[in-house]
Amino acid sequence: MIPASEKFLTILNRAEIEYVVIGGVAMVAHGSAKATFDLDVCYNRSKQNIEKLCRALAPLHPRLRGAPKNLPFRFDAKTVAAGLNFTLATDLGDFDLLGEVAGLGFYDAVYNSSVLKRVEKISCRVLSLDGLYRAKKAAGRDKDLEALKEIKGLKELTERLSEE
Amino acid sequence: MTPKQRKLAYELITNPPPGSAIAAAKEYGIDLTLLVENLDLTVAQRLRKLYSVASFLEKLRQSNGPGR
Repeated sequence: MIPASEKFLTILNRAEIEYVVIGGVAMVAHGSAKATFDLDVCYNRSKQNIEKLCRALAPLHPRLRGAPKNLPFRFDAKTVAAGLNFTLATDLGDFDLLGEVAGLGFYDAVYNSSVLKRVEKISCRVLSLDGLYRAKKAAGRDKDLEALKEIKGLKELTERLSEE
Repeated sequence: MTPKQRKLAYELITNPPPGSAIAAAKEYGIDLTLLVENLDLTVAQRLRKLYSVASFLEKLRQSNGPGR
């Protein structure tokens, strides 16, 4: 299922959760033409943030994506604190929750590589093109080669246009 | 994007400066016209466009299920 990103971001903001949008949605926010099917965010792993995150997402019934239906899973602060990265399906769509991003590190490093974007009434931190480049390079998958070329092209295009 | 920026964007993607990242992306096969179109939109418009495309692709994917 495709996530309704704006609804998701509203929920995260209302709950004052510390997060940065990363992955395909961040790419699109910067102008990429790639389609994506999930919303990826990097979250602060502080106890308080994890608790707020679990409370805010509970009404969306988060469950492990692709896991057998009979596999016991409880999305609570204890589970999130014990894990790191989660690929979830929710009532609003697929949602990946990353405590650490390859090539960047944990939330603080990801935050420092992010920029503030406005989606109409919603403000959110989005991983910068430089940050996306580092993350994609570290991921090193075949499909990331195209993304790397696109990010570099987009960055140059954006910089040249902002000079006008 | 201002009309001047739009004009420059199309100039840059039509004849990218040799050795530039724009030239490398074009040579790799990235459709730069799509990037310029997206840069001309607000972030909210980019996300709506994404979900409109992704919704269609999702329906297409579901229609390819077994026995269809």
